[in-house]
Amino acid sequence: MGLVARHWGALLIFGGAALTPILVRDAYFLDSLVLILLWGALSAAWNVAGGYAGQVSIGHAAFFGIGAYSAALLGTRFQQSPWLGMLVGVALSLAAGAAIGYLSNRLKGPYFALSTIAFSQVLLIVASRWRAFTSGSEGIPVPFRPGFATLGLGHVAWVYLALVVALLYWGLELWLEHSRFGYRLAGVREDEDAAQALGIPARRLKVIAVTMSAALTSVCGTLWAQYVGFVDPFYVFSVDLSVRFALNAIIGGMGTALGPFLGSILITSLETYLRATLSGVKSGFTGIYLIVYGVVLILVVRFVPEGLAGLSARLWARARVPS
Amino acid sequence: MGGIYALIAVGLTLIFGIMRVVNFAHGEFLMLGMYLAFWAFTLLSLDPWFVLFVSIPLFFGIGLVTYALVMKGVILASHNVQIFTTVGLSTALQNLALVLWSGDFHTVRPWHALTPVRLAGTAFNLSQVVAFVIAVTLTILLFLFMRRTHTGRVMRATAQDRDAAILMGIDTDRVYRLTFALGIAAVGAAGVLVSPLYAVYPTAGLQFVLLSYVVVVLGGLGDMVGALIGSLIVAAVEVAGSYFFGTAWKEIFYFLLFIGVLVFRPAGLFGQRGAETLGM
Repeated sequence: MGLVARHWGALLIFGGAALTPILVRDAYFLDSLVLILLWGALSAAWNVAGGYAGQVSIGHAAFFGIGAYSAALLGTRFQQSPWLGMLVGVALSLAAGAAIGYLSNRLKGPYFALSTIAFSQVLLIVASRWRAFTSGSEGIPVPFRPGFATLGLGHVAWVYLALVVALLYWGLELWLEHSRFGYRLAGVREDEDAAQALGIPARRLKVIAVTMSAALTSVCGTLWAQYVGFVDPFYVFSVDLSVRFALNAIIGGMGTALGPFLGSILITSLETYLRATLSGVKSGFTGIYLIVYGVVLILVVRFVPEGLAGLSARLWARARVPS
Repeated sequence: MGGIYALIAVGLTLIFGIMRVVNFAHGEFLMLGMYLAFWAFTLLSLDPWFVLFVSIPLFFGIGLVTYALVMKGVILASHNVQIFTTVGLSTALQNLALVLWSGDFHTVRPWHALTPVRLAGTAFNLSQVVAFVIAVTLTILLFLFMRRTHTGRVMRATAQDRDAAILMGIDTDRVYRLTFALGIAAVGAAGVLVSPLYAVYPTAGLQFVLLSYVVVVLGGLGDMVGALIGSLIVAAVEVAGSYFFGTAWKEIFYFLLFIGVLVFRPAGLFGQRGAETLGM
């Protein structure tokens, strides 16, 4: 198969995203598009650890928060560019990811998930209680300063920026699927003992995957904070947020390059739609889409554990080989 | 508080020990218990202590239904499926509460929450003291049930070796159902007991359940005596932490303790070594 035939799905999604700002000028629509791409990229980042390495984290919000806070704090307290903040966030996340990846290396399944939750909770406590430096639970408003250097961009520019990040992450995962590193990682995920017996340094690979995933998450955390313009510790370090990263990837297909983006398209559009239609009904009703999330998550892991990407591959195979 | 932690943790550890599933929705059942007590108190002026008699069978039933609808299908599935099933359940229940009862903080103030008691020079209120006594009693009853009764033995046998249990003619599905229902009944009772002490709101369960993870891991996942001892250790760390560093920072100590235990003794202080690498 040719390159286009093999990646028609990605071509459709990313091509569509690239063309939309030319055709549509509606700010609300473009806003949804930026969020779809950012959430997709975040889930892709989670996917590196959760999907490819099998290190399922429910504390990835920790790295998101590190990225968001680094840029917001450097920007408001030291008048630095968010790009520098992004670099600092990446550096911190690399360190934190390596530490947590190394420390919880022996842990599997629920134990690993628990240790990541604990880590994000520690950061939440620090961010919300260290009032002098982080403004505590009030959060930090990120001022809008126009210009590329300060990431004060219009909607169209944001779409392209988010698209570049999304494409980079997608490309990285494509590489993971076809590289020696990726194959060895898959080996570790499927059967760690067998992989180790073959001389694959399983523990080191897992630490590398978690560290990579942390840094990628942090970059999006910075972008998100600059885009939305506000950093609230109870949101950026929340368990709900961590679940959300995982949710997109699971629905789309864990351990596939395009899966996180498919999941993000579905979930983010659903959220935007439900928010818009239900927000006027009653204040508490915004919670409805989260109930839907929960139920969808239960149903998907039970009935379609391979996600949308896997499902379409299965249907495709069935269509081509008539039984 | 040690007693309450024990009751929450014992349900969690029971479910984990026998079903090998970490119930990430445990805190949400606690929250539902708190709401039950709140509504009974506000609408019917029922004292939380009386609500306990209703809550235990009610939550046992809720546990049975949840098992049949949600847990039964994933009991043999991979860890990831199980983790995200209970995480999904947690998200759904939390937001169901938010939609039905809004995010407002509610309080339950029966007479005993306002009755001071002095014990060993420290001031408590009567609710705290009675909650502790009832929670410890229930924990011990549950423990005796597991140790002394035939059903308890059957449950422990299933935990040790599922296949052997099936070969001995044990209906493992019934065991899992009973286990889950008992665990939920315990956490529901804990919810009712803490309602006079803490504000009731949709995410109220989260703080407690994070704590009970600490307790359970400290005592060794699946170990009931460990859970009891672990809860006392956590309560002690909490008191010591708030005494030396102020209440604002106390939580950080048990999370650090938690990470420390996970790193150095993942099977818990008294658990079998190596359990964590099997993902057990």
